[in-house]
Amino acid sequence: MKKSYQGIEQKRDEGNIWFNDLKRKRTQGPTLSTNRYENCKISTKSIHAGQYDDPTTGALGTPIFQCSTFYLNRSSYEAIEEGRGRDEMIYTRYGNPSQWSVQEKLSALENAESSIVFSSGMAAISTAILGMLDKGSHVVSSRDIYGGTYNFLHEDLDKFGMSVTFTSPTDIEDIEAAIQDNTKILYFESLTNPLLKITPIKAIVALGKKYNLRVIIDNTFLTPYNITPLDLGVDLVVNSASKYLNGHSDLIGGTVSGSRKLVDRLWPQMLKNGGSMDPHACFLLERSLKTFALRMRTHNANAFTLATYLENHSNINKVYYPGLASHDQHELAKHQLKGKNSGMISFEIKGGDENAHALLEFLKLPKEATSLGGVESLISLPYNTSQASLTKEQQKAIGINDGLIRLSVGVEDIEDLISDFEHALHSIFKKQTNYA
Amino acid sequence: MLNNINIAGLSEYANEVKQQNIQGKASYGVKLNWESGTKTTVSTKNMVLGEHKLVRDFKFTIDEPNQLLGINAAPNPAEYMLGGMAGCMAVTFMTGATAMNIEIDQLKLEIDGELDLQGFLGLNPDVNPGFPKLKFIFHVKGNGTQEQYEKLMERVTMHSPNYNTIKNEVRLIGKLIS
Repeated sequence: MKKSYQGIEQKRDEGNIWFNDLKRKRTQGPTLSTNRYENCKISTKSIHAGQYDDPTTGALGTPIFQCSTFYLNRSSYEAIEEGRGRDEMIYTRYGNPSQWSVQEKLSALENAESSIVFSSGMAAISTAILGMLDKGSHVVSSRDIYGGTYNFLHEDLDKFGMSVTFTSPTDIEDIEAAIQDNTKILYFESLTNPLLKITPIKAIVALGKKYNLRVIIDNTFLTPYNITPLDLGVDLVVNSASKYLNGHSDLIGGTVSGSRKLVDRLWPQMLKNGGSMDPHACFLLERSLKTFALRMRTHNANAFTLATYLENHSNINKVYYPGLASHDQHELAKHQLKGKNSGMISFEIKGGDENAHALLEFLKLPKEATSLGGVESLISLPYNTSQASLTKEQQKAIGINDGLIRLSVGVEDIEDLISDFEHALHSIFKKQTNYA
Repeated sequence: MLNNINIAGLSEYANEVKQQNIQGKASYGVKLNWESGTKTTVSTKNMVLGEHKLVRDFKFTIDEPNQLLGINAAPNPAEYMLGGMAGCMAVTFMTGATAMNIEIDQLKLEIDGELDLQGFLGLNPDVNPGFPKLKFIFHVKGNGTQEQYEKLMERVTMHSPNYNTIKNEVRLIGKLIS
C-alpha cells in the first residue's frame, strides 16, 4: 500500500517536511491487484475484470469473503492514522475483498477509476447526492425520474437545508433556466421511465461546465453496455444493480462509479448512511456480471425485434423505443448510443387500460411484476405502479396515456415472445371487433 | 486519524495540484449588507475550487461596541479580521503538525493589537489608521519538541494565506456603483 510518507520518513522525523513533500497520489481502485482488462472489450471485461483468484488454494474465481471484520495489523493502524482506510481491509462496512472484486469489474465496465457497491440502488443514489452537496445547495433534476429518487429529492432534501427544481429531462433551455446561484448538481437519467426519453448527456455536461456544476447520471435503464456516461464527461454514474447489472431478479443492489477523487468523497457518506453491500450479494452480482454483455446483446436484439413487431401491429397505437425511427429522439439515440439500444419498450394498446390489463393476463411469458432488467420479461402498467401517485389528468399531462404498458424484454427466444404477444393480442381483439 | 486530519487526502490533493495547477485555484468572496447604525450582515459568496462550485451558505453579523457608536450585537470588524487570521494560522499549524506526525492535545492562539483611533477620526494625518503591529502567541500542548513547534510557527508564517495577506502588500481595487 502506498503511504503518504514513503521515502521521506527521515525528513518527517526531523520535522522538516511540508505538504509539497507528501508522496501519496490518488490511484484507481481500491484494488486487490486484480486485472481490469482495460484494453479488452465489454464481454471480456464482464467475465474477467476484477476477479480475485486465491493464491493459496488456486481456486478459480473470487471467493465469498463472508466476514464482518479483519485482523488489524501495523498496516491497518497506519491507514487509520493517515485517513486512508478505504485502501485497507478493516471492517466490511468500510471495505471487503468481495466488494473490491465486483467494484473493479464495474469500474472496468464504466471506464471509471473507482466504484462503490451499495445495498440498494437508493442507497447508492442518496449517498451520491448527499455526498456531493454542500449546506444550502440546490439540485436540478427531472420530474420523469424514478419515483424513489423523486421522493428523496422532493421530500428529504429540505430536511438537510437543500432544495430541488424539477425540469424536463430533454429540454436544455428548460434545464438551464432552472440553474440557480446555489445549484451544485444536475441529476438525470440516461433513459427515462416509462416514456423512454433520451437525456442529451453531452449538452447537460456542457451546461455543467458552463456553471461549474457536477453532473450525475442514473444509467440503470441503459447500462454501461449501451452507453458509458463517464466517457461523455459525466462526473458520477449510478445504477440500480438490481436491474440489468445483476439481471436475474434475485438481488437488491446499487453502484456508483467515477473518478477516484469523487468516489473517495462519497465513501465517508456511505459509512454514515450505512448502505454497504453484503459480501454474499457481491458474489451474486460479480457472478451475474460475467454474463452481462451476453445478456445485454439479447435484451437489445429482442427488444428491437419486439418493438418493430408491436409498431406494425394494428391494435397497438404507439410504441416508445429509441431504436425505432418513429421515436422523437431517434437521431440523438443513434448518435448517443452509437448503434446500441435498450431492452426496455413502452407501448399503448388500443382500448386503454382495460385492454392493457387483459394483455397482462393473456401473456404467458412476461411476468406481471415491477422492476426490470431480469432474464425473464417483466411487464407492468405505469398508471398503477410507478406513476400511481399522479391523478389521471396529471398522468396525461406528462404523457402517460390510457393503455400505456412498460415491458422489460427478457432474453427468452424472440420467436416465443412474439408468438406469446400474437396469441395474447389476438385473444383480446377477436372479441372486440370494433378495435380490429 | 491523527488530529482528526486526513493527511492522506491532503497528500493526494497536493499531488493533484502539482500536476494540475488549476485545482489549486480557489476564489472567495463576501457580500456585506448594512443593516442599521454600525450593524452589518455578511454572507459568504460561493467559491470556485478548481473548476467546480462550492456552495457557501453562511452569514454573520458585525457590529461595534456601544462606546464606538454600536449596540454591541456582534464582534467588530477588527475582531473578525484577527479571528480570520488566527483561524487560518491554526489550520496551517494543525495540518503541518499532522504532516510532521505530531499529536496536538491543545492549541490556543492569541492575537493582540492596538489601534490609534486618531487615524480613523482624522485628527492626525501622521497616525496610521490601521494596526501598526500585531502580536500573536501560540499555546501548544502535544507530543512535539520545542524545536518542532518553532519550525511549525515558521511554516505558518510562510504558508498561511491570511497571515500573508496581512503581512504582504495587497492590491486593493475599488469601484463605485451608485
